[in-house]
Amino acid sequence: MKTMRWSRISPQAALIPAVAVTLVAFVGSILWTLYLSFTRSRRLPEYDIDWSEWGRQYDRLFKDAGWEISLRNLIILGLGSALAIVFGFILAAMIDKEKRGESLFRTVFLYPLAVSLIVTGAAWRWILNPTLGAQAFLRGLGWEVDFNWLAQPDTAMYAIILASVWQSAGFYMALMLAGLKGINSEIWSAAKLDGVPLWRLYLEIVIPMMKFTFITCAILLSLGVIKAYDVVVAMTNGGPGQSTWVPAYFTINALSAKSNLGYASAAAVMMLIITLIVFLPLVALTAWQQRKGAPR
Amino acid sequence: MSQMSASERAAGATEVPVARAPYFVRKKKGISPQSIAIIVFLSMCALFFCIPLYVVVVTSFKSMDQIREGAIFALPQIWTLDAWDHAWNKACSGINCHGLKVGFWNSVMILFPSLILSIALSMVTGYALALWNVRWAGAFLFLLFICAFVPFQIIMYPLIVMTSSMKVYGTIWGVAIVHAVLAMPVLTLIFRNYYKDIPQEIMSAAVMDSGSFWKIFFEIILPMSGNILIVILILQITSIWNDYLIGVTFGGLNGQPMTVNLANLVTISTGTTNYAHNMAAALLTAIPPLVVYFVVGKLFVQGVTAGAIKG
Repeated sequence: MKTMRWSRISPQAALIPAVAVTLVAFVGSILWTLYLSFTRSRRLPEYDIDWSEWGRQYDRLFKDAGWEISLRNLIILGLGSALAIVFGFILAAMIDKEKRGESLFRTVFLYPLAVSLIVTGAAWRWILNPTLGAQAFLRGLGWEVDFNWLAQPDTAMYAIILASVWQSAGFYMALMLAGLKGINSEIWSAAKLDGVPLWRLYLEIVIPMMKFTFITCAILLSLGVIKAYDVVVAMTNGGPGQSTWVPAYFTINALSAKSNLGYASAAAVMMLIITLIVFLPLVALTAWQQRKGAPR
Repeated sequence: MSQMSASERAAGATEVPVARAPYFVRKKKGISPQSIAIIVFLSMCALFFCIPLYVVVVTSFKSMDQIREGAIFALPQIWTLDAWDHAWNKACSGINCHGLKVGFWNSVMILFPSLILSIALSMVTGYALALWNVRWAGAFLFLLFICAFVPFQIIMYPLIVMTSSMKVYGTIWGVAIVHAVLAMPVLTLIFRNYYKDIPQEIMSAAVMDSGSFWKIFFEIILPMSGNILIVILILQITSIWNDYLIGVTFGGLNGQPMTVNLANLVTISTGTTNYAHNMAAALLTAIPPLVVYFVVGKLFVQGVTAGAIKG
């Protein structure tokens, strides 16, 4: 790279737009929002901080029942969506074992990912319609099922989980398939020779070998769950009541519907903190992987 | 026969003698009970995955009279395009009742500037960071890595203020610029990872050949970028088209993309809901990315896996 010293200016100049965007739109904006979260800003920003009560927005936030519901739903959605990883792994393992129809199955399982979550939400909302949807159909067949999830506060989250899992299972399947392809093919025949049952092979050898893939999936899933907004809007719009609020929904609702800038900023800062909690293992993981890869 | 094939499989699938065996042996080996079970299970899952698409398609061709009968899985008695016509030309989004075609053209107008802005910016940045000696490249890449994960909500209000002061808030340009800004960190990382594998010898030779930064970019790097460009293009087309949050925040009343129109249509709580209209509208919104997906499926998978961190 020494030979390139004479032309230092052009590359640095070419980086100016990206650096400007990063510093203004990301770093600067984050600091701006952080600052606003300490102010009493309501509809319009206020830039005076009363240091005796700089944490008042956060105090209010932690006492807000809506925020508590949002956090609880975040955990419910995270645990429920984890089914997408389990489901994705099962599908990937089966596709990997039985090569026939691989491309057809992959195509089918992945198409939901190409579609907007607003469309996904609209479709599932219609299927879950209690009087005209799947419930009416199944009851017509004589099965007393209760699919009226969307109208009841304690089940509405299940509907959102169903739509999320349907949408993202194919994505985790694709990641898992890539992970499975990286496993040495000899272990299959070795296991056959030793007479190890297939389920034990997966449980005791394959899954531990794929732990890096699993951790990646789990982190991506968590980050996706924190960002979940579209699917909530399309399925329930937060309702019934506040029963399907999530932090992303809470924050935007505080800003646009309640016009409470300081409050929304505090909620956004909390979202950032939650993201960082999930994100730090990813940084550690990347560093670990690089160190592991380095000696080779 | 089946015993023989089992022992063969035990000896490893790569054994050559199987290929020389008579046809029916191979066939018999193929349809082991385990394979049948797996294929049946996968087919059932595939059916489950197809249910929403099937329901949306048949509902969009039904009349409201038939929908009220409650047989959601039934085929239309009379196939009609009325709902499609209504969704495209007359569906209401807020107070505007000019159909989804308004949002469709907005989405198209948002898509192209977003694509050009985001790809041009991140491509040049990725190239400069990967192949030129920039001392602070490592720190900047780490910063970009963090920015790629930041939730949109924390930069939402400042971006509204900035786009307002640039007089683009509430227009398709505002939406396009925000798309480009938000995509920049991830796309830069992807481009940079692609370019860093270019052999150092090529770069040294190019520099010796009195190649300047831009000359090397246009004459060597750009022609080499075909594969990654297509992957990024697919990733960006689908994610920009499917976006809702940026469109609803920055589009105002006149720059709303199609997803916002659709959301307004399906979440409206007043009056009787016409599900045929809603499903036709949903399908209209879904068709462009679905076409991209079914035409270039393999690359789509690469794109979403590369952009996975985009969430």
